[in-house]
Amino acid sequence: MILTFMDHDGTKLRKSALESVTRARKLAQTIGGEVVGLLVGPGAETVAQEAKKYVTKVYTVSGPDWQNYTAEKWALAAYAAAEAAGAKVVITPASRSGRSWSPRLAFKLNAALLEDTLDSWAEGEKVFASKYSFLNRVLEKQAASFPAVISVKPNTTPLAEPAGEGAVAALSVELGEVENKVEVLEKISESGGKVALTEAEVVVTGGRGMGSAEAFGMIEELADLLGGAVGATRAVIDAGWRPYGEQIGQTGKTVQPNVYFALALSGAVQHQAGMNKSKVVVAVNKDPDAPVFKESDYGVVGDIHQVLPVMIEEVKKLKNA
Amino acid sequence: MALDFSLTDEQKQLQQLARRFAREQVAPVAAENDEKARVPWELVEQLYEIGLLNISVPEEAGGLGLGLVEEAIIGEELGWADMGFYTIPMASELGITPLLIAANDEQKKRFLKPLTERPSLASFALSEPGNGSDAAALRTRAVRDGDEYVITGTKMWISNGKEADFNVVFATFDPALRHKGVIAIVVENDREGVSFNKIHGKMGQRAAPTYEIIYDDVRVPLENRLGEEGAGFKIAMLTLDKTRIPVAAGSVGVARRALEESAKYSLEREAFGKPIADLQAIQFKLANMKIGLETARIYTYYAAWLADRGDPAHISASAVAKAYASEIAFEAANEAIQVLGGYGYVNDFPVEKLLRDVKLNQIYEGTNEIQRVIIARDILKALR
Amino acid sequence: MKYVAIIRQVPDGESKIKVDGGKVSLEGATLILDQMDEYAVEQIIRLKEAAGGEAVVVAFGPERTEEAMRTALAMGADRGVLITAEGYVDPITQAAALAKVLAEEAPDVVFSGGQQADWDSQALGPAVAEALGWPSVTWTTAFELDGASAKATHDLDEGAEVVKVALPAIFTAQQGLNEPRYPTLPGIMKAKKKEIKKIDAAELGVSASKVEILEQQIMELERQGKIIDGSKEPAAAAAELIRLLHEEAKVL
Repeated sequence: MILTFMDHDGTKLRKSALESVTRARKLAQTIGGEVVGLLVGPGAETVAQEAKKYVTKVYTVSGPDWQNYTAEKWALAAYAAAEAAGAKVVITPASRSGRSWSPRLAFKLNAALLEDTLDSWAEGEKVFASKYSFLNRVLEKQAASFPAVISVKPNTTPLAEPAGEGAVAALSVELGEVENKVEVLEKISESGGKVALTEAEVVVTGGRGMGSAEAFGMIEELADLLGGAVGATRAVIDAGWRPYGEQIGQTGKTVQPNVYFALALSGAVQHQAGMNKSKVVVAVNKDPDAPVFKESDYGVVGDIHQVLPVMIEEVKKLKNA
Repeated sequence: MALDFSLTDEQKQLQQLARRFAREQVAPVAAENDEKARVPWELVEQLYEIGLLNISVPEEAGGLGLGLVEEAIIGEELGWADMGFYTIPMASELGITPLLIAANDEQKKRFLKPLTERPSLASFALSEPGNGSDAAALRTRAVRDGDEYVITGTKMWISNGKEADFNVVFATFDPALRHKGVIAIVVENDREGVSFNKIHGKMGQRAAPTYEIIYDDVRVPLENRLGEEGAGFKIAMLTLDKTRIPVAAGSVGVARRALEESAKYSLEREAFGKPIADLQAIQFKLANMKIGLETARIYTYYAAWLADRGDPAHISASAVAKAYASEIAFEAANEAIQVLGGYGYVNDFPVEKLLRDVKLNQIYEGTNEIQRVIIARDILKALR
Repeated sequence: MKYVAIIRQVPDGESKIKVDGGKVSLEGATLILDQMDEYAVEQIIRLKEAAGGEAVVVAFGPERTEEAMRTALAMGADRGVLITAEGYVDPITQAAALAKVLAEEAPDVVFSGGQQADWDSQALGPAVAEALGWPSVTWTTAFELDGASAKATHDLDEGAEVVKVALPAIFTAQQGLNEPRYPTLPGIMKAKKKEIKKIDAAELGVSASKVEILEQQIMELERQGKIIDGSKEPAAAAAELIRLLHEEAKVL
């Protein structure tokens, strides 16, 4: 059996859930067994109606104990589902939260953890995965024995298509002593972008060359027009212009969108670690020698305050056309 | 098996700290400080915070009591980032060294302890408008008046100068006695009659402040004198025998930077359809820089090691190191400009500054000609 | 109170990565205390400075990890415990060994770096927490002690939240949590005398890694580098850029 954790927002599946299903199906072809899904948290029952189209069975874990996410609770739910399904492999999303609870799950299962993988496959009694390492600069192949927990790097895997109608089963999980260890006092919503940075197809990042916090209004506008998310460099975060959650790079988030706009930033190694696997990189910088141009597919040498407004207008024209 | 070129674990950690500080804090502002001829006090303060300032102050005066090997480690790293900036802590060590050589315990506590308690500098005032390397011919007068000296005269090319707490001033109480008539005396900068003129228009090392200092009937108590009356010249020479080594170390840092910038550029820049690094003409330049760098570095550390052991061979060795390292560094900077071509000649790239900065390393703390006199004297002494 | 930072030694991100015979070679690379772990070390030193107690650094890694540990000691940590094992050992396996040391140390608060600069892993902190049955909070940007619990702000997939966590607990650190200090030269000299206890991983029951690294290669995507000079006519250049993205790259 292969268990796949299906991330959702309370009303529908997230994209990562469909990427996970694709990975699970691929493994199932080699090692056999069915693909079973797991939904945790508020709305699990609702989303199960959508999720059951992708898997033979969906476990749901929800109720008053499951209103707020904590790594321990989610790992506990996944462990219960893995045990119930007799899973040899658990597929999880390599989102920020997924990477927080997957190690806990692997430890509970005494399983190998293949983390943030680009691809995964099985041969005989071994499971393999490819992933990046050394600040995204190295591609490596890993091998492990079963059981294994495999987390799937966002935006790396084709989305699964529906394939039938599975069953839905509510799973009752006792929290035990995990219950009161972490209490959520306050939620802070991310300002700016409406799309999760690590899942966004388009990321628009501004650097110190933007000149001010106000100038990020243009960055937000372009991101909104393209349905993308706003990113920022370390220098911008240090200057207090943007919140920490938007930082791209070694000490921030790693993104891999279809298009990455690197605007008014020089492109230090630490920044590249967070974005160098983007499919298309677009840079605007007034300094023709800025390292970012060496890492770009398209670029404009010019003043951001003259170039960006025109870019926004041109994108608007495209949208209206 | 007695030869051992390795650094201790602590020295390696020191090197890593100095390298990181140089890379993260000094190098990014080097061009700006050079262009504006701005003294980066905030970097001096940071150096103090991380314990890299005035490291030779002995433990009994509240310092770390470290030697020239440690100073050379720091010198190479800071010289790599900005030779002009490195001259500030280096010149402070130059001001401290006469006290290490000749100060009594009370003087060490009085003058050196404050240097460990806040970001502050010492300074060394030997050169004069009319004499530099001919130290025995100095004109600044120290006239004894009861339990005081009255100092009158002008000192020139003084690194740190006004920015320091005090200058170790070399003055004569009897010019007829030549070098036997010299005293070394600590003159605090806040004494009445001390005034400063900042020297402008320097070719390089523009982050380092350089002063002309005028002493006009400055009254200084006898207990500020280092050593005996007449010992001043000896103190100055013993000082420079040691402090030439940090000049060599800073030069090694400049040479390393020149090589790094040249190698990096040669791989990026293409000509005739391939990187210029593939051209033998460029490869020879890189190889020559490397030969100079490696030999200068190992010899500089050797001289520092001799000095820290108290081996008199350091007198000649420090002169060899200073002359050689500053010359190979000048040559490396010059060749780096050639490798970068037009880009080497403009200040968008850091290499033209290397040349302007390191020129001074061939001049200060005894010109390279004087170093050769010292070396030759040592050769002939053994035969006479 | 006792505070622990779990640290690692990694190649400096500025130094070039080399691959030799299908494996990353660290020969000649500058090895440093992981910059993400610096936030962890800084945090435990601050906690100790503010409230007293002991700041201990713990690591699992090859013998050379001692150098990074000395850096942490030079920053101000009191002593270190190093579990030695050469070669790659996966974080889940490491966690079991680290948990044994931590169970004995019995700290109140543990910090580790949010992501490792060599394996790009985020697993170690949560896995150690699981091994100990402690809560874990990842990507912490603010932290304060509050009696027998701690209040922490940390990043989620979207946005952030403030949580109250029962101690002992493990937190992973990131930028924003604090501004790590440099080690100091006096600190380096004092660190020489500080204790680093070494334990062979085998003594803690570590036999083999659950995950094996088979081969590694340098990944560099070829970029097209179509750069338009917009220094004279920025508007035309901007319009051309969007046209290329739409018609040629087909990404808009």
